[in-house]
Amino acid sequence: MKTTSDNSGDVRLSGISKTYGSFTAVHPLELTVPEGSFFALLGASGCGKTTTLRMIAGLEEPTTGTVRLGDQDVTHLPPYKRPVNTVFQSYALFPHLDIFENVAFGLRRRGIKSVKKQVEDMLELVQLGEQARKKPHQLSGGQQQRVAVARALINHPKVLLLDEPLGALDLKLRRQMQLELKRIQTEVGITFIHVTHDQEEAMTMADTVAVMNGGRVEQLGSPADLYENPQSTFVANFLGTSNLIEAEVDTKNGDDIVLRAGGGKLVLPEARCSAPTTAGGKVLVGIRPEKISLTHADDAGEIPEGRNRLTGKIADASFIGVSTQYVVDSPVCDELAVYVQNVERDGRLVPGADVVLHWSPAHTFGLDAAQSLLAGTVGSAGTEEEVAA
Amino acid sequence: MSTLTEAPPPLAPAEPAKKPPRKRGRFTPYWLLLPGILWLIVFFALPMLYQASTSVQQGSLEEGYKVTWHFATYWDALSAYWPQFLRSVFYAAAATVLCLLLGYPLAYLIAFRAGRWRNLIMILVIAPFFTSFLIRTLAWKTILADNGVVVHTLNSLHVLDLTNWLGWTAGDRVLATPLAVVCGLTYNFLPFMILPLYTSLERIDGRLHEAAGDLYAKPWTTFRKVTFPLSMPGVVSGTLLTFIPAAGDYVNAELLGSTDTRMIGNVIQTQFLRILDYPTAAALSFILMAAILAMVTLYIRRSGTEDLV
Repeated sequence: MKTTSDNSGDVRLSGISKTYGSFTAVHPLELTVPEGSFFALLGASGCGKTTTLRMIAGLEEPTTGTVRLGDQDVTHLPPYKRPVNTVFQSYALFPHLDIFENVAFGLRRRGIKSVKKQVEDMLELVQLGEQARKKPHQLSGGQQQRVAVARALINHPKVLLLDEPLGALDLKLRRQMQLELKRIQTEVGITFIHVTHDQEEAMTMADTVAVMNGGRVEQLGSPADLYENPQSTFVANFLGTSNLIEAEVDTKNGDDIVLRAGGGKLVLPEARCSAPTTAGGKVLVGIRPEKISLTHADDAGEIPEGRNRLTGKIADASFIGVSTQYVVDSPVCDELAVYVQNVERDGRLVPGADVVLHWSPAHTFGLDAAQSLLAGTVGSAGTEEEVAA
Repeated sequence: MSTLTEAPPPLAPAEPAKKPPRKRGRFTPYWLLLPGILWLIVFFALPMLYQASTSVQQGSLEEGYKVTWHFATYWDALSAYWPQFLRSVFYAAAATVLCLLLGYPLAYLIAFRAGRWRNLIMILVIAPFFTSFLIRTLAWKTILADNGVVVHTLNSLHVLDLTNWLGWTAGDRVLATPLAVVCGLTYNFLPFMILPLYTSLERIDGRLHEAAGDLYAKPWTTFRKVTFPLSMPGVVSGTLLTFIPAAGDYVNAELLGSTDTRMIGNVIQTQFLRILDYPTAAALSFILMAAILAMVTLYIRRSGTEDLV
């Protein structure tokens, strides 16, 4: 995470937690969101991301810990006294007020008399100047969403909180709004904290993403960093797809670790391994599907030296235009996913064909083998033990 | 992944349906309406017509009544009984305001704060309907009795001095005064206020309160600017359901009031059942109906609830 010398607008959560009876929604959490950044809290439903957001907004009182905005401790301030505004999941626009009055609501509550100019400018920013006198239910989902953003932004909050703001929109509109929100954030320079369960959305929009699981922050970093260097199986599986192969540490060779998997050897740069490596110990080897190349077994001799290799048989292939996605059965791993760009398609790569999978060792990452392989995949959230690792 | 060189031929266009859509289905809604319409004709439209004709008849019980288009009955009835009309409107309005003041906080509590007690409180609100309207009103006679606890307490607190001065009570008693009648009306029609209020409050999305708080509205401002405007449909239907029957009520004035608190309902009842002056009674009924209709229309126009979603 980037550090700024001037931290007057940073959001700092220290030791913040929330329990409901015996259920812990958020475990004590340390988090600093630098001023002016676009920060995403990413996780499956029930991971505590929305609760964290609501504690910043003041809609939930934390069980322990403090919330600070810059130098101000706002932990016990009611929402209406916090310089923070929220874009709610289903927008929560006031149905009895027109768009103009919805946007003007916050200004009027703070006793500002001449709101016309500001409201008109704000509606212009979100391209809704024409709709000012309509009621919320007369607008489309995307327009309502923009009203919700305008209604919050007009107050120039120190932090804008977005609670799954695009969840109700269809895919195409969501893509469009992602870019729109990013544009607005760049334009106004306000800190955005965005809660989402859509990893693609988080990666497209945010400067920094915190992946949450089971009430804890599993990993925090830039989207590229999280994608390339996941520290846990949860992150590896939740952001995109990962192939995870169980392997045993064989020897160390300079900066690299040599591992045994099945009959073959795999090389992993030590710097990219987040797990302790002692000879004979287990490690999970991870590789992203698009980093793997496929070569028909007959041409195995043409593969350059120094690449990690596995053998297998194509179980399934689906053509999706830009790429072809293969599922390969291999002795070390049942279903390896491989994405191959459709540049030069090899006609022999059809289900049933014997193939060699190979990739550069530099693209390999290593994870602690004491975690569930399936954490973060569809239908399985990580359990407490895995998170604690 | 074989390549298609030829798209499959489209399905042959369906034969245009030769049979026109069955006629019978089109009349189903009207058949379903029939029982209701018949009921309305027999028990509403025909009695109304009969009443209307009665109101312009002349004659006597012994000689029989004849339709003579004697519209003067309306004018005579109005000039003779306008104080009772005014009193009815005033008492009903007072009871409606009291019902709103008592019912709104209760409905708010049930809708937002009652949690698991919600159903129990709702049953308690409806519970009075399990006993007869008459019995409950008679019970108020005991509650407000001259030597009862209520009157004693009010007396020792000098509240009755105040209400005497205002003209709501007379002497050291509550029974047989305007106050008793308004109390009875308020009590009897309170559930009709609470139920619609509760329904419209309960429908308000809790996130709107959060959004208002998030946008710098203090709790009271949130109520004024968000909750109350959104509960307007409930306020309007609650006040109508209270005001309309209260204006025509005669039981409360009969049991809890005196000759000085007679409402128009009492007059109509007396005309019909004791004096047997049917034309006057019918004319009074029509005047009351027209007056209420006019007031209600004006009220709905003013409150602008048709604009609310």
